Amino acid sequence: MSTAQKLRDLIRSGYHRMGELEIQTDVYGYAYLVCHHEDLYLSEEGGLGGLDLHEGPDKARNLSTYAADGTYRFNKANISLQRGWALGLQDEEELRQALDLFYPAGLGLFLASREGRLDVQNLRDKLERQTGMYRFAKSINDPGAQKLVRDTCGPDKACAKKILWQIDATTPLEDSPASAYTGIPEGLAETEAIPLVCREACNHFVAECRKAAKAEFEVKNQEG
Amino acid sequence: MSLAPKPHSALLIVGHGSTENPDSSTPYFEHAAEIRRRGLFSEVHCCFWKEEPSMREAEYLIDASEVYVVPDFISEGYFTQDVIPRELRLTGPTTEVRGKTYHYCLPVGVHPSMTDLILRRAKEVAPGVDPRKTTLIITGHGTGLNQNSTKAIRDQVDLIAASGAGYAAVLDAFMEEQPFIAEWDKMAATENVIVVPFFISDGLHSYQDIPVLLGIESEVGAAASQREVFRHNPHHLRGKKLYYTSAIGTERLLADVILDQVADFDKTHKSL
Repeated sequence: MSTAQKLRDLIRSGYHRMGELEIQTDVYGYAYLVCHHEDLYLSEEGGLGGLDLHEGPDKARNLSTYAADGTYRFNKANISLQRGWALGLQDEEELRQALDLFYPAGLGLFLASREGRLDVQNLRDKLERQTGMYRFAKSINDPGAQKLVRDTCGPDKACAKKILWQIDATTPLEDSPASAYTGIPEGLAETEAIPLVCREACNHFVAECRKAAKAEFEVKNQEG
Repeated sequence: MSLAPKPHSALLIVGHGSTENPDSSTPYFEHAAEIRRRGLFSEVHCCFWKEEPSMREAEYLIDASEVYVVPDFISEGYFTQDVIPRELRLTGPTTEVRGKTYHYCLPVGVHPSMTDLILRRAKEVAPGVDPRKTTLIITGHGTGLNQNSTKAIRDQVDLIAASGAGYAAVLDAFMEEQPFIAEWDKMAATENVIVVPFFISDGLHSYQDIPVLLGIESEVGAAASQREVFRHNPHHLRGKKLYYTSAIGTERLLADVILDQVADFDKTHKSL
């Protein structure tokens, strides 16, 4: 079964939310209508409640590139999706393409996780793959990495992803709102929301590791 | 070269991406959309080094069991020879990874059809300008760390010089190695000079750094898509008329070059 067909089945079984997106079916002649979840009430009003209507999956990129304050959303799971629009899509293949622009590979990662075929990479392995200026990131110590998770990840820090990785195979993440986040928005059941899963630390986290590792190094030098 | 439809194969376009500038990845998505529109592959996806989806996430985008990987990069070098094979776990032209067969094509920038795109871009930016009174400069980054990064540009210079396009001179120039693009006016003996940036996107280098080196701008400006006023050609600078184009990778027909690389892969590796 293709990813688009699996998506159709998920929606039919009651899933309607992914990240900040609300997915409706059979609205205004579209097989699927996507909008910001906080705009759902507007989309149900006449004339879409004044929301700007867009059509086709390619529009999803422009809708998700910048936050309302003009910040570039290079981390697509950042909880800063603009409001005020609705996106009409003709079928589940278009919906799949749009979701992959809003949340790149998010659907496929969720399905792989559910089907037990997701290859999760722990932080130490991820940092070992870094080259160039980011090579130094791997020298971050475990307490520093645990602190970074608390300070950088999870919905309190505007990231909507559920973390699946550990520091290494034998070192789980310490308990914190970031490590405990399930990816399911508050008030929804697991059967209603497609969680955004984090299979390896993102580029932003690696960059923060590098900064923290440098700071650790400087402190050590001063002490030594 | 036309490509026969591959209804059971996926195309994966690999780009660099940026955490700073969204314009960096725009051409990749445009090339993917153009190829998707043609219906040649069952799926067309993009993945990146510095953006999402990452190369390691790409397999989760793809349903097909056969995948053509085309680096939407301008030259062979560190990314195409080290980073992409490592991230996608490729060990040769064709590699089986976790149930999928990946065919690793050459980067777009080394394909001979890039020559036509450069000439087309040069004509568009300077319509009616006599090539015999014009110097065409192809410019890139350049780095002392990897000879290959400049080879694609030097190859294009040779191809255009031999093509009969009629330019008074065709030259290469770089940001960080000799000959330096900042000295374009000293390199060119003609009154007219056309500069084509040999980059995939109008990112940091082609729209921010090089305009400063050319003297068009006095300081690095905003990203291309954030500009209210785009530059107007020609620029009357240093006693010459300078025509500056957007990056060659933003050319819509680059989608054809991606397909050419797939066709070339089949010709080279599947006919054996």
